[in-house]
Amino acid sequence: MSEIDKAQEAVEELLELVVDALDLDAEIVVRADGDVVTGTLVGEDLGLFIGRHGQTIDAVQHLAQRIVFHGRPSDLRIVIDAAGYRDRRAGALRRQADEAAEEAVRTGRPVALDPMVASERKLVHEHLRDRGDVETYSEGDEPERHLVVAPMLEDA
Amino acid sequence: MKELLEELARRLVDEPDEVSVEQFEEDDGTIVLELAVAEDDYGKVIGRGGRTANALRTVVKAAAVRENRRVLVDIVE
Repeated sequence: MSEIDKAQEAVEELLELVVDALDLDAEIVVRADGDVVTGTLVGEDLGLFIGRHGQTIDAVQHLAQRIVFHGRPSDLRIVIDAAGYRDRRAGALRRQADEAAEEAVRTGRPVALDPMVASERKLVHEHLRDRGDVETYSEGDEPERHLVVAPMLEDA
Repeated sequence: MKELLEELARRLVDEPDEVSVEQFEEDDGTIVLELAVAEDDYGKVIGRGGRTANALRTVVKAAAVRENRRVLVDIVE
């Protein structure tokens, strides 16, 4: 069995376990697209699975990564999703990032964002990079690690 | 919840047969789950900065919500 087949099987098993334990009425869909294996729950009422600020779905995603990789380096990426949650979350993060950038430019001061997991910090960092008038850097330790959006200093 | 924690831990470690979970109930009804694994596997269930331990707690807590219970996960060495 190839690495990607094993990863898909492990993700499927993990999601079955969680769906059972949380008593969810959901279908499990596991897909591989290039190096990305995505396990998605499709169903109604997935709030408990997603959790506050996505805490639970991110915990499941972390466990999925640890289970699949077992601490070994890999080129694969594992994503756990639920009925469009990651898209909605990405949209909300981009909006927050834009607001923070506008505030930083307006006030000339750095603006700290809420704590985010590494993949979300990367998304925001890349989103703001194209603006050219702010820079972003991370501060603090997990799980409180967060991005700071600072106005770019004008070249002297 | 006990089974969930056991199954998750078994998938994380190198020695799944060494995983054990003891369940206790406190006076206020809180369920305490004590997780033990093989000596060399503690790093696997705790993770960098305790991230994996926190993820285990978060998922087990979600299962407890379904049963209207409070749950504490202890990793015992």
